[in-house]
Amino acid sequence: MKRTGKMNHRKSTLISLVLPVTLVFLMSVMGCSSQEEVQTVVSEVEENAAEVDDQVSSAVDFDHELDSYVPLKDHYNFYFTYKIVHPWWDAVALGMEEAQRQFLEKGITVTYEYMAPDEASAEDQIERLEQAESGDYDVIGVDVADEDIISPVLNEMIDEGYKVMTFSSSDGSAGCTRIAYVGNTHNYRDGSDLTEALCSKLDYKGKVAILVGSQGAPCHEDRARGARDIIGKYPDMEIVAVEYDNDSVEKAYNLTLDILKDYPDLDGIICCNMSNPVGAARAITETGSKTVIVGMDHDREALRFLDQGVIYCLGVQDCFSIGFDTLQVAVKIADGNKPGDLFPEKTDEITTIIYQEDAAQMLELLYGDIL
Amino acid sequence: MTDGDKNTNANTNSNRGFVLTAVIGSALVMTILALSTIWASRKTVSATDEAVSAVSSFYLEAMADQRAQTITNLINNNFEHMNKALTVIQDEEIESQEELRTTLGKIKTLLSLNRFALVDEDNVVYTQYTTYTGESRYDFLHAGELSDRVISTLNLYGSSKQLCLAIPAGDLKVMGKPIKACFVQIDIAEITDLLEFEEHGNAFFGLYTGEGANLSDTDLGMVRAGENILVGTREHIPDALWDKLSTDFAEGNEGSMTLSINGMQETICYAPVPNTGWMMAVLIRESLIHEQIRSISDNNRLVSRILITVTLASMVLFAVILLLQYRRISSVKLETERENSRTFQSMANTDSMTGVRNKHAYSEYEVALNEMIRSGEAKDIAVVVCDINGLKHVNDTKGHAAGGQLIKDASTLICEHFIHGAVFRIGGDEFAVILHDKGFTTLEETFAAFNREVEENILKDKVVVSIGYSVLLPEDEQLHDAFERADNMMYKRKKELKTMGAVTRGT
Repeated sequence: MKRTGKMNHRKSTLISLVLPVTLVFLMSVMGCSSQEEVQTVVSEVEENAAEVDDQVSSAVDFDHELDSYVPLKDHYNFYFTYKIVHPWWDAVALGMEEAQRQFLEKGITVTYEYMAPDEASAEDQIERLEQAESGDYDVIGVDVADEDIISPVLNEMIDEGYKVMTFSSSDGSAGCTRIAYVGNTHNYRDGSDLTEALCSKLDYKGKVAILVGSQGAPCHEDRARGARDIIGKYPDMEIVAVEYDNDSVEKAYNLTLDILKDYPDLDGIICCNMSNPVGAARAITETGSKTVIVGMDHDREALRFLDQGVIYCLGVQDCFSIGFDTLQVAVKIADGNKPGDLFPEKTDEITTIIYQEDAAQMLELLYGDIL
Repeated sequence: MTDGDKNTNANTNSNRGFVLTAVIGSALVMTILALSTIWASRKTVSATDEAVSAVSSFYLEAMADQRAQTITNLINNNFEHMNKALTVIQDEEIESQEELRTTLGKIKTLLSLNRFALVDEDNVVYTQYTTYTGESRYDFLHAGELSDRVISTLNLYGSSKQLCLAIPAGDLKVMGKPIKACFVQIDIAEITDLLEFEEHGNAFFGLYTGEGANLSDTDLGMVRAGENILVGTREHIPDALWDKLSTDFAEGNEGSMTLSINGMQETICYAPVPNTGWMMAVLIRESLIHEQIRSISDNNRLVSRILITVTLASMVLFAVILLLQYRRISSVKLETERENSRTFQSMANTDSMTGVRNKHAYSEYEVALNEMIRSGEAKDIAVVVCDINGLKHVNDTKGHAAGGQLIKDASTLICEHFIHGAVFRIGGDEFAVILHDKGFTTLEETFAAFNREVEENILKDKVVVSIGYSVLLPEDEQLHDAFERADNMMYKRKKELKTMGAVTRGT
């Protein structure tokens, strides 16, 4: 398991279970001087295994509490818009709802709109932002659909006095004057880490394809860029296709079938969003291909494919924390606060790379599924 | 042995027989009582075991149906409230987002609806605090137009599971937008609370989807909370039973089965929850119930044993007391009989006029002494023969009453002097006295004193008694030998007293 941003690379629970036995055997063979020493090493390894389990369970933190900040008003009204109607943002929404519930318990009413189009579109996002400008909102939050198109719009809004923040998967481009960002700040590295894991698995040689989400979506593009850069490091590896599924599982499935038709000897697929790995895994299962899949996010079907070994690894983002922290930062921004002691300019949320042996625990954590 | 002794012996034998019969009878009755109690308690245990199996299935089916009905009632109540809510909104003429949120808040409070929301034709969801695009969140929105009630299960990120109930909103418009539906979300944990059992430890319930996923997050015997029931039972039950379970769950059929897992007997019963696609499963651990019943039976058996022991001990104690009482009564009765016998014997041997022993008594006494004489045991024995002077004369001249009085006076005189002797009236005017021991050693003085008083009585015209005596000699073969000698002496004395003026028969 690898945790980007906050965690070091860690491998499987399987290894952590096998390791103690191996160590005991080796130490016995080598004539380890005392039983106590063997016991000490075993204890250390067991502690490491427990730590790995803890990391899986903390990949998504559902146990949040509002910090000690005392809001200035008893009612806030926000507008949030994100890239596309999709379960990934539903998970973010649940974090927001938990924060809203906790504010309500403190006597502070937070109302908000949380809106997105059925298909990712920078134009649609601009329309929504224009509508939001005419509404009575304390803060407008944006998950940037296309950094090149949306960032200037956000700058204009800031200039006009609107309080604008970005959140969830995509920040504005460099130079964007939005007040703060809460979400994944390491999409490039997520793409790099997943690709590094794939390369290692393929012994640094072979043909790979890259599936991306929406064109221009910063998070998807950054991950794809990270993937390209890693593949470029290894001369025996080749990118044979790059395709966009516009966050559609069906499209990802069809694209994978097409790629496999063109490259039946395809060795790996790098998936940069939530729908990519599901569609790719369906196609791989159907065709019986041995292609190795690495991908993003916590889709339930994707986790089951991971558990079955169809997907090699998944990068799971802490969507619940993203939603919770977004609403908490929005209240502070609404009160006129700027990034600093109360909140950072970028609130970084973790991504944890999980493998087959972590899938069951993750399914139980996220969906209550006990396999 | 006398007739009385024979009767006493016969009575004693008869009593022993009675007591023995009573003891054996009681022991038999107690044995039958004890055996029947043990048999009855064993019979009760086996009958209870059979009854538990029969009743538990019936009980489980009732529990499963009852709980399924509870959920159905909850769903129907919510649908009813949602219809009322739509009517309220229709009447409100809502024109702004703020008004809508206020109205939704009121409805939620008034009708106790959890997370009540409206959905417009663009699948935008309106709740009391938020407005959001919800197509990816609710399966029922994928279908487009909503024509009827929809009951669905939401598996939310974060493992929360909710029941979602939606109804079409008709021609309702809010802020100029057509409203497609309204819906509520009910946390399944809240439903689970409604279904909780009181029988902790022995009975379990679980709410499952048709695919076997656990919705209620409750243990169902060996199936852990959150675990798919089909996965949890796979290793523990035969293939045929597991196939039936899978099919019943998939098709929403009622069913029941008894499983034996790790030596634990478990009966599971399941029933579909109408219109939800859910299955309500109830499980009872018969082994635990059997253990409890066995424990109760063991206690009952112990109580029965104690009861039997106490009863037996009481019976034995009672029998002993009865026996002692009976023996005491018999002893008293025997003593009374002996006393009566003695009294009768005394009456038979006593002279009714004087109160001294009569001729019959003298005869018995004589027989006994003769036996002693024959065996050589008799020594220091003397016989005194007494005869009243002038009794006939008194009878003839003064009447029989005076004669009787004379006899009494004579008896008194004899008894007063021969206080250490056995006095017998052996004829109308004749008495005999047998002397032993002290009476024998003081014979001479007593004889002299008696004669002195008699001689004085002549002068006083009182009773006069002629006496003669003789000691038993070694050559005497019987008492009568000494009696004759004493009798001769008495006649001599009678003549002597006549000379002194005493009245005699010939006077």
